[in-house]
Amino acid sequence: MNPDRLPGPIAGLMGRLVDASAGERLAVSVAALLTAILIGGVVTLVAGVFATCSDPILGPFCYNPLAVYRYLFLAPLSDPFVLQETLKNSALLLFTGLAVAVSFRAGLFNIGTQGQLVLGALAAALVAVRVGPAAPDGAVGGVLIAGVAMLAGAVVGGLYAAIPGALKAYADANEVITTIMLNFIASDVAFFLVSAYFQKPGSGSVETRDVPAAATFGPGLALAMAVLLVLAVTYLLWGTAFGYDLRTAGIQPDAADYAGVDAKRMMVTSMTLSGAIGGLGGAVWVLMSVGRWVNGVPALGFDGITVSVLASNNPLGVLFAGPLFGSMQAGSLSIDFQLGVPRQLVGVIRGLVILLVAMPELFRTLGVRWGMGGVR
Amino acid sequence: MGLTPAHREWRTTMRDQIDRRTFIGGATGATLAGLTGCLGGGGGSEAPAHVGMVYSLGGLGDEAFNDMTHAGIQRAEEELGIAYDNTEPEGQSEFSTFQQQFASSTDPDYDLVTCIGFSQLSALQENASEYPEQDFMLIDSELDADNVASYRFREHEGSFQVGHLAGLLSTREFSHEGSYSGTEKTFSTDPEAKTVGFVGGKENPLIKKFEAGFIAGVHHADSEIEVRSAYAGSWNDPGRGQEIASSMYDAGADIVYHAAGATGSGVFSAAGERGRLAIGVDSDQSLSSDASHTIVASMVKHADTAVFNATKDVVNDEFQGGSTVMLGLEDGGVEAVIGTDYEGEIPQDVLDALESSREEIQNGEIDVPTEPEN
Repeated sequence: MNPDRLPGPIAGLMGRLVDASAGERLAVSVAALLTAILIGGVVTLVAGVFATCSDPILGPFCYNPLAVYRYLFLAPLSDPFVLQETLKNSALLLFTGLAVAVSFRAGLFNIGTQGQLVLGALAAALVAVRVGPAAPDGAVGGVLIAGVAMLAGAVVGGLYAAIPGALKAYADANEVITTIMLNFIASDVAFFLVSAYFQKPGSGSVETRDVPAAATFGPGLALAMAVLLVLAVTYLLWGTAFGYDLRTAGIQPDAADYAGVDAKRMMVTSMTLSGAIGGLGGAVWVLMSVGRWVNGVPALGFDGITVSVLASNNPLGVLFAGPLFGSMQAGSLSIDFQLGVPRQLVGVIRGLVILLVAMPELFRTLGVRWGMGGVR
Repeated sequence: MGLTPAHREWRTTMRDQIDRRTFIGGATGATLAGLTGCLGGGGGSEAPAHVGMVYSLGGLGDEAFNDMTHAGIQRAEEELGIAYDNTEPEGQSEFSTFQQQFASSTDPDYDLVTCIGFSQLSALQENASEYPEQDFMLIDSELDADNVASYRFREHEGSFQVGHLAGLLSTREFSHEGSYSGTEKTFSTDPEAKTVGFVGGKENPLIKKFEAGFIAGVHHADSEIEVRSAYAGSWNDPGRGQEIASSMYDAGADIVYHAAGATGSGVFSAAGERGRLAIGVDSDQSLSSDASHTIVASMVKHADTAVFNATKDVVNDEFQGGSTVMLGLEDGGVEAVIGTDYEGEIPQDVLDALESSREEIQNGEIDVPTEPEN
């Protein structure tokens, strides 16, 4: 769209955002968070009017917003089960958030992390089941199986992301469209493969056999791997020539081209890298969360988009956005459970937080791109 | 046949529930299922038992399996004073999460975790050994563990009954004056064409039992009747269900039985458009469907009884861990129930024939197959 046609006040506001100092931006984010919490509280209160309950907090109000927030933010600290769930969610969202951030940095809107994750997960599960019997007993075998499975997940996820990358580079196909469509293909292909060839015997649902128990690990190790990967990718993007090329291709493709970066190849490479991280996330989901591939993979890839946007597509920001989002997700489970407030309602609150916190950053990014603001 | 007292009672609770749901649904839209269910508990810490409910996919408000089990636990709350909490998983991988959440909770400490649907088997296999102190119940599947009580149904027996009914009606003149989508309509059989139909959701051993029983029942009435069977490949695709059923009606079928979850509402639409008859499944679907005049009967699977009985066992300290209870016609676990709009319209000789085939199944004279013959 043409930024010149924006109404004056909005353009002015965006310019103001671009010029904002770091302190001002932090203040905006905190204010946005508080506003979201306030609106969310009102929504909770009003929704409670329509519910039926035996002991309303006051008059017609069934849900207590204060209790909701207490659980949302404090349950991970007080309840070991919620803490486990928080760690799991956080680790997985670090992978998917990072995957999305890498592609966005390269100027590619990879909406297909979900599909890459689904196929990566399937590959990891199948490989783990397959090499399980051949691996030596004990911890060595476990590490070996897990390593091979994660490698398989990364390779398959990467290859699957290379498809839209190549389509974009060599056929000028919009990657937003192709990656969205490939998500559907991925989950349906995975469903078909498992139900037709790799079905767990005796099970009524669509799922693979269990991966060997030795290859599974807890959320602590997964989180450590995710953090290391985030640091490695940060170094790759900001500490190497390749990273410089990737980021330049994202910010100013013409300049990158002029500087001798093979733009087409960079598209395929950065998509592959993004997909490999997503596929790795899928492998971790299998080995850490479920112990096998089951149909109905949670929407981790889509949540990764939110995490990445919340983090301004900065890998180090993902380190904070991932756990924030992950703990709110786990907290919503315990709210549903302990307070009887439907977790869909908590999803609304979560959405409000993200919307309000991410919006100023989004407008700022757009403003920078469109050359708004006084200080350049 | 007719209504047993327990069934009548269940009917009333279902009606109340549906009324309440419509009211709330009108007010809040999408979150209705969650809102109606979640505040179930309320018995507080002095309740004789706490039960955690993990529903199958589709959740509360499905007007079928989940709502049946919910009715069962509501009855337990009323009669036994227990307290319960509901959880509605949104994906396969959440079964394990919710089972663990109940099992690991200490406030309250759950005395029983109810796992509804065969899809929960894999998750429960792990959790039953991980939480040996927690008692679980599993509906529609079987797990051999000391802390798991399994409940399964002889769906083939109930399906035989509705198949028998379909066979008897299909070969005679039978019509019902009713309405479909606001207009007066006649729903009738076609005695000339000896054809009935079966629509399944996904093809698996469980649904094959429905199909097998139905075919056997139809052939018990008249072995020359052709039964057309088809699977929609989905539990949640009414459009596909309507397509399949329409083609069956066009090919001369006058009654179609479905075991296809929400896909089945398409079967009722097809019957409504063609002025033909259909048979519902799991609950008495004539109570909840918009096309109730098409539903001559339903094969009711009393999952509510299973939940109630297991809860009662826990309250009485008689938990049946490690056992599998099979609920069939004899124990009222399954039964054929005539649709509300058809009460008093089914010829007496048909009802008598159904009654005698029911007795023959119960005393073993009829052996109902669990796999389709042809």
